[in-house]
Amino acid sequence: MLHVENLTVSIGDTPILKGLNLEIGAGEVHAIMGPNGSGKSTLAHALAGRDGYEIGGTVTLDGADLLEMVPEDRAAAGVFMGFQYPVEIPGVNNMYFLRTALNSVRRARGEEQIGASDFLKGAQEAMDLVEMNHDFLYRSVNAGFSGGEKKRNEILQMAVMQPKLAVLDETDSGLDIDALRVVAAGVNSLRGPDRSMIVITHYQRLLDYIKPDFVHVLVDGKIVESGDHTLALHLEDHGYASFLNHDHDGAPLTGATT
Amino acid sequence: MSVATVPSRGAALERVESLVLPTRRDEAWRYAPHKALAQLTFGPAATPGVVPADVDLQIPDIDGPRLVVINGVVDPVRSRLDSLPAGVQLVSLADAPSEITVGVLEREYDAADDAFSIINRAYGDGGALLRVDGQLAETIHIVDIAVPDVSQNASVSRVIIEMAAGSSATVVETRIGHGDAFGASNVRTEISLAADASLEHIILQDLPTTQIHLGRVDVTQEAGSTLRARLFNLGSDYGRVAYYVHLDGEGAHADLSGLYFGFGTQTLDQQITVVHSAKNCTSRQSYRGVLDDSSTGIWNGGVDVRPGADGTDSEQSNDNLLLSRKAEVNTMPRLEILADEVSCQHGATVGQLDDAALYYLRSRGIPKEEASRLLINGFADQMMDDLESDAIRSWITERLGHDDA
Repeated sequence: MLHVENLTVSIGDTPILKGLNLEIGAGEVHAIMGPNGSGKSTLAHALAGRDGYEIGGTVTLDGADLLEMVPEDRAAAGVFMGFQYPVEIPGVNNMYFLRTALNSVRRARGEEQIGASDFLKGAQEAMDLVEMNHDFLYRSVNAGFSGGEKKRNEILQMAVMQPKLAVLDETDSGLDIDALRVVAAGVNSLRGPDRSMIVITHYQRLLDYIKPDFVHVLVDGKIVESGDHTLALHLEDHGYASFLNHDHDGAPLTGATT
Repeated sequence: MSVATVPSRGAALERVESLVLPTRRDEAWRYAPHKALAQLTFGPAATPGVVPADVDLQIPDIDGPRLVVINGVVDPVRSRLDSLPAGVQLVSLADAPSEITVGVLEREYDAADDAFSIINRAYGDGGALLRVDGQLAETIHIVDIAVPDVSQNASVSRVIIEMAAGSSATVVETRIGHGDAFGASNVRTEISLAADASLEHIILQDLPTTQIHLGRVDVTQEAGSTLRARLFNLGSDYGRVAYYVHLDGEGAHADLSGLYFGFGTQTLDQQITVVHSAKNCTSRQSYRGVLDDSSTGIWNGGVDVRPGADGTDSEQSNDNLLLSRKAEVNTMPRLEILADEVSCQHGATVGQLDDAALYYLRSRGIPKEEASRLLINGFADQMMDDLESDAIRSWITERLGHDDA
């Protein structure tokens, strides 16, 4: 489904991603873990289409060249990014925003527009999924939301947009344990054979709730290790130290696949 | 006593003879189109010829009493003055009986006259006189239509609003124009709020961009009264509204807000002065501007705290969104404090569309143009948050070219 080959990303003269390869099949959940500054968020934004990057390499989603597309076209192609820092947009009503978003991608795909009442029904179901009070539909997008409310709102948007590929950037940051459970349950309920996910996180904690099919370790702009979920447990015990400051010899770690 | 014999009017007429127009050196008129102002021709109110029906489409569809003034003359056909609510007098100023105009027409204010307020006094025979004694549920709508005439391209009218003690009302003044000829409207509103009276006063300024609008609002407030003034300054080549609000009685409150939204080569000018003369008064000024193309916005907002006005509490804010490299805004908060225990805050911002917000919306599939429009409308719409009338909201949103979310 998603094919990333030799992806390089620089900001100005500073290289951030230095030749990243990633293959994600339909319905798979991949976790990407790594220390601060390793390029995790840059990968997410490069997939979503943020401006300001020098990009090289290949990224395709079901064969379509993502790198050629502006962000809105990527969304129409099925990419959804859950932001680490969702943006506050005062004055723009959450429901209006969500319906505009959904109808924009439907228009781009040549599908019918969704009317207000059908939309409302779907949105309310999605809100129940992340245990959000329905009042939030009538508030401005993320404005004055707590950290946890913002993250729930991201998952709500994901539930409404029904993406083919969800990239969740540090969805666990700033969440207390109860909010984490709710958000993770929302994500899990959205797992399905046609939906792939990239879960980016700093900590193993999130992966107790969202169990990944694969775990990748991103260090200094490259994936240095890949494995199943036990790789995350190894990192929990040993940290990233073994991947830092020395040349990686490629020897498999416990539980890692080659 | 008819209007013609009001002494201040005679004096004003004399002053018109020797009138000196404002120049760039007058701070309050610095950004005005002085050449165009010099080409305006004023005179006594004169009924225009036939006014085409399509002007009616520009008028917001507000239920309730309505007085329509065209070039300073009341249009009885477009007005709705039958079945006025109890406690309301809404009459043509030119026909108002002297017992209600006495002491009202010649009222002087502690604020500088300018050429156009003198012209307004001299020729402002016509317009609306509203007196309210009671709690009014219905909205009063006063419509001013300027139709430039060959012999006289600028119209002059007055609006006088007298709120009796403890009364409350909402008044909307719609100011529009007709035709594509050069011209102007010069409208002066004089509001007096007796003790504990409360008025919501809304101006919708949307003259054609071939015309100029010169608006001035003088307000006097007695103890415990409340003014909520809302300005939507949208039309005209040069659209100007100047407020002079005098908080004369203890505990009076003035809350002024507005939105100016310029396109093309428009200049939208708001000049606000709130004078705190009594103890424990509060005032708020909150204005937002959106400026596209080569348009210019001016916000000159002042608070004067006079000696003895202890316990004054004032806040001013002016936030602007520039949508083009050629757009310009001039924001000038002014403060003069001559009293004790005063809290006065002010802030002004000028910015562009937030790239992070734009990216966020686009990442949700919303195309760039539509995302920009959502952000712009979101910024502007917050100035409508406390408008209760759906008719006014939808008039504004339609005027700004979007659906009411």
